[in-house]
Amino acid sequence: MARTNLLKGIGVFAIVVIVVVGATAATGTLLSGASPSGDTEAPAYDSGLLPTAVDDSGTVEPPQSDETKTVVIDQSHGNAVGESDMEPLVDALIESGHDVRFYSGGTDSGFGGGTGGLSSGGSGLNATLRSADAFVVANPASAYTSGEINGIESFADAGGRVLLLADPVPPSASTQSIPVNIPIGTGSGTATTPGQPTNLAANFGISFGAGYLFDMENNANNYQRIYADPSGDDALTAGADRLVFDDATALTTDADATPIVQSDAQSSATRRDGTYPVAVRTDSVVAIGNTEFLAPDSATVADNDAFVSNIASFLVTGDKQPGVPEPADAATGPGTGTGGFGDQPDTTPTLPGNGTSP
Amino acid sequence: MNREPGLLDRLGGPVVVFGVVGLVVGAALVPYAWGASTEPDGTVAVVEMHGTINGDTATAAIEDLREARQNDSVQAVVLDINSGGGLASVSEQLYLAVKRTSEQMPVKVAVTGMAASGAYYMSAPADEIYVTPASTVGSVGVRAVVPPGGAPDNQITTGPDKATGATEAEARQRVEALRSAFVDSVVAEREDELNLSASELSYAKVYSGTRGVELGLADQIGGLDAAVDAAADDAGLDDYRTVRKESPTPSALSSIGLNSSGPTGGDGLTVETTQYLMLHGQLDTPGDGNVTEVSADGAN
Repeated sequence: MARTNLLKGIGVFAIVVIVVVGATAATGTLLSGASPSGDTEAPAYDSGLLPTAVDDSGTVEPPQSDETKTVVIDQSHGNAVGESDMEPLVDALIESGHDVRFYSGGTDSGFGGGTGGLSSGGSGLNATLRSADAFVVANPASAYTSGEINGIESFADAGGRVLLLADPVPPSASTQSIPVNIPIGTGSGTATTPGQPTNLAANFGISFGAGYLFDMENNANNYQRIYADPSGDDALTAGADRLVFDDATALTTDADATPIVQSDAQSSATRRDGTYPVAVRTDSVVAIGNTEFLAPDSATVADNDAFVSNIASFLVTGDKQPGVPEPADAATGPGTGTGGFGDQPDTTPTLPGNGTSP
Repeated sequence: MNREPGLLDRLGGPVVVFGVVGLVVGAALVPYAWGASTEPDGTVAVVEMHGTINGDTATAAIEDLREARQNDSVQAVVLDINSGGGLASVSEQLYLAVKRTSEQMPVKVAVTGMAASGAYYMSAPADEIYVTPASTVGSVGVRAVVPPGGAPDNQITTGPDKATGATEAEARQRVEALRSAFVDSVVAEREDELNLSASELSYAKVYSGTRGVELGLADQIGGLDAAVDAAADDAGLDDYRTVRKESPTPSALSSIGLNSSGPTGGDGLTVETTQYLMLHGQLDTPGDGNVTEVSADGAN
């Protein structure tokens, strides 16, 4: 009897508990608003987000040439481009057996006080060029003297190959990000701001632009990495259908020079659309408004490798008369000896024989 | 049948007793009734985003927005924005949080100074953007600060990219991907109003408030109060109160390193990593000349 009552009590207790809990759960489910569900659609995050990498499978081929030529790379003007920045070109030249010399200024082209009697400030470089077949200038920080310009001009006239390279002038020294190898040369000191060989290029009827070129739509994953195409069918652009330049500048030329590479882009200086020459050529002078494409990680991008190979063979296929430029005294005539500040261009503007510079 | 008078009768009869009880109960309910008739219909939450967008400020704002969504009394949100942006990753988080909130309730933006770069990113999904002629909007672009390549001599790493995280070309691609997500998001959110193409937007210019309205980057000329009024109006609130959620005051660390938890760890280690930023203005990078900056905007 007592046992039945106990079971009855437990049963009632269980039913009451179930009813109470069940009712609470049911009420809660009915009353609680569902948490706002679902994903927030971000329309732009869905597809096509990852940019395509630019093809980077090229190889710079060494030039084919029977003779051994000597290529001089200027490092004496605070040039902000060192060997490591143009390694693919240097490697290609060396691999094919040519001599590559980095001219960092000889003992005879120092500041005037040290080596008296240096008349035009160009004889050190000119002496080096006498035995050279090609001359490369990239991003000089200081200007070339009249004597040097005359020497380089007669070097080019005699069939020597000249390659002028320069990047856009950075807005200010504090924002430039080019790692600089300061050459142990004279006159360059601690100059780190890359410049352009303005007066030297002007002598060949070429002018480097100040601003960079950019393209907001059709670019190699950055607006400053522009695509460029060959213009005409110069041997220098054989096999180079599409080039990539990072931070390039436009070139302006007189009628004697022809564009060999150009880009449909905008100039940062004018913000105008246009077809801008990035590389130009006269007979034996090539000017390119970029140095970065010679760097190891850029020389293999797109068709840059073919362009670098062609530049290497341009440098070693000239037919230069030996012994040019002639010694400075003979070249500049009387009136020399106005000072010895070889690296300061303003000290020799009135020398006879320098009239071609602007 | 003369019955002893009961307790009820002694208190004055049932009518009086029930009357008194009714009065007491009624009086107890008066505050609720009063409240119900005079209480505002709802709340407009004003969520601040002031200062650089970093982990701290973004977390606070995202938390405030979540609270606004979950609190039934909050019927509309106004973002009070005065920021030039900051870290790219948290700017995207903010964008998604604002977008989600605006799917549930009216969200207005009042630009009380500048809504540039990452701060404009979070403004884009709002229903309306209020500016004043002197406020600044725009700078739709991304930049990365890449530390110099390779591991220094005194460190041993297990791979060439352990120190920097990626090659420069890879960082460039990542910046480009972030740029296209940013630009495309702005275009998608404001497609009806915008008078700029995606590539024009990619120049990453900033515009004055007036010009911003003309170009469709903003909607109205008006201050914070106008934005609050409009938000309440859209939520159907005649009578509302505002609650202000302030941005945390930046700590000394975060003003240097963008984030209070970095770059200096607890061990005194200074870690320099690749930072992806949606930040307007010239950046003073430490150790200038060693740090490569890759930007996807035209402002360099």
